[in-house]
Amino acid sequence: MKRSKTMELGVGLFMLAGILGLLFLGLRVSGLTFSVPSDTFRLEANFANIGSLKPRARVTMAGVTVGRVTAIELDREWYDARVILELDAELEGQLSRDTTAAILTAGLLGEQYVGLTVGGDPEMLSDGDIIRDTQSALVLEELIQQFVSNMVSD
Amino acid sequence: MIGRILSLGRRGCDVLEALGRSGLFLAQSGVGIPSREGWYLWLRQMHFVGVLSLAIVLVSGLFIGMVLALQGYTILVDFGAEQALGQMVSLSLLRELSPVVAALLFAGRAGSALTAEIGLMKATEQLTSMEMIGVDPLRRVVAPRLWAGFVALPLLTVGFSVIGIYGGYLVGVEWLGVFEGSYWGNMQASVDFIEDVGNGMVKSLVFALVVTWIAVFQGYDLVPTSEGISRATTRTVVYSSLAVLGLDFVLTALMFGGFS
Amino acid sequence: MIDSPFVEVSNLHFSRGEKVIFSGVELQIPRGRITAVMGPSGTGKTTLLKLVGGQLAPDAGRVLIDGQDVHALSRKALFTLRRRMGMLFQSGALFSDLSVFENVAFPLRVHTDLPPTMIRDLVLMKLQAVGLRGARELMPAELSGGMARRVALARAIALDPELVLYDEPFVGQDPISKGVLVQLIKQLNDALGLTSVVVSHDIQETLSIADYVYVIADGQVMAHGTPDSLDIDDDPRVSQFVHGEPDGPVPFHYPAPDYFHDILNLEGRP
Repeated sequence: MKRSKTMELGVGLFMLAGILGLLFLGLRVSGLTFSVPSDTFRLEANFANIGSLKPRARVTMAGVTVGRVTAIELDREWYDARVILELDAELEGQLSRDTTAAILTAGLLGEQYVGLTVGGDPEMLSDGDIIRDTQSALVLEELIQQFVSNMVSD
Repeated sequence: MIGRILSLGRRGCDVLEALGRSGLFLAQSGVGIPSREGWYLWLRQMHFVGVLSLAIVLVSGLFIGMVLALQGYTILVDFGAEQALGQMVSLSLLRELSPVVAALLFAGRAGSALTAEIGLMKATEQLTSMEMIGVDPLRRVVAPRLWAGFVALPLLTVGFSVIGIYGGYLVGVEWLGVFEGSYWGNMQASVDFIEDVGNGMVKSLVFALVVTWIAVFQGYDLVPTSEGISRATTRTVVYSSLAVLGLDFVLTALMFGGFS
Repeated sequence: MIDSPFVEVSNLHFSRGEKVIFSGVELQIPRGRITAVMGPSGTGKTTLLKLVGGQLAPDAGRVLIDGQDVHALSRKALFTLRRRMGMLFQSGALFSDLSVFENVAFPLRVHTDLPPTMIRDLVLMKLQAVGLRGARELMPAELSGGMARRVALARAIALDPELVLYDEPFVGQDPISKGVLVQLIKQLNDALGLTSVVVSHDIQETLSIADYVYVIADGQVMAHGTPDSLDIDDDPRVSQFVHGEPDGPVPFHYPAPDYFHDILNLEGRP
């Protein structure tokens, strides 16, 4: 059977374009990075209320993304939410023990993420440690309730 | 009254019979053992259904991305949220529009052509003569087309998404002046590769199978006259469009409906 | 062994939906001869070939080819048997996406592992036999009807079959093409020792080459014999067919109510 080179070339280019497109969707659109798993370390933080925080949410420090939320579970002992964070390994031993974690909202209606703020303690957090000082998510109903009860008591 | 019930029953049996026939047909043609010859036949069909559909899919993708950005901008700007344009364009394309619109275009461009081609081969006794020569037309004619469609449509869908997102970029960033960093940044923050790109691809694979299956089956099963061919071609487009839209709802409910 | 028929059709019954096509057809097709099966249009001559080729299954009766029951074979054995048959279709049925050369090479490529040079030699030999060696690079769409049929013939004999089935080889051909095809069928049969079955309603051409003739009508064999004996057969249906008379036992009119009553029927008028 006679093979048409231009046709083979066309199909080859077509498939190559498809694979490159998928790569584009992976890297440029969904922001995948080929990070090696060992490049991270774990911290835990307990929050009284996490609002609508979800796994894979960003963890930021001064607005810079430094890690991700890997798991959220209920702490059976305290009945609050235990959030597992995975942070860049470069930060291991750089965060002071009194670092605070807060659940913040991007914009008025945006997604929720975890923001870290470094304190002044000379001792540093290491893999598997727990962040003690946390700040829960703002829940709109609670805010309104507080506001109303303040109005009434005034 | 009894006559009505009878005719309903007969129609039900006809539908079931056609479904059974097409299922057997799919099973028999799908298992074609790849050989060097088969590889080449597949390549030729890839050219026919894939490369030749590329132009219409890419042009449509560009325009749909541009329209999405334009429409999205006018709504988002009211909330001061035009930074979320990239997120909106990319998510609507990846999850919904690319798989569905690419599949519909594919049904119109490649599906109908497959039906007509196989139907013409049947009408001119090419399939029968192939069988008499001792070659199974399911393997020789149908299987390469089925596999080519199955591979080509997901690739076309990727192309549609990429060019649509680029079209959104052209309108949103270059024309309407959304900050470039927030267009890509918001997109990257909100698009998840597995959840969004992956599920879109799964949709596209399902649509590819269904559309190609309908197209080749309609071609293989038609009445071999010119009227039969034109009817079957119409049926291919109608059935595959309905199947794509219906399945899209089911798949969306399963993937994003929170049933997991 | 020479005298035993190559194809033996016994008590064949076949119907399509409500319509009965064959009711008890008996045929014996001798080895190495040209056997013609003739009959008016719509008597299922093509269906008969499809039954012999195993593409359709009969309701009752059987078809033996060289002692093998075609419809009792497994799919694989049937495909093996088909390698020993060639069939020339009414429309030629050339693969429209392949050139003339590739069409003839097709059976060789799928059934043999011959090297390309040998395939080329064989294809050119077959094309030479039908006089179209020079047309090998053309596509089927560029051929005239007669040429397409000759290419199809070359393809049918590509694997040197023992049995060739011709489905209406002369229909829609100009006199020159008809003459060429008649001569080709005769020559191939004599030179290659084929067993040929020609299904046709072209009386002159068919009778000029056939060794034995079967006439089929109303789902049964009406007459059979050598071409010379057939003409004097006294069955009125056969004589109507052979002499080409417009009306007779095979009626000119499709079954209808009485003409006089039909035309005066006022109820049927709008």
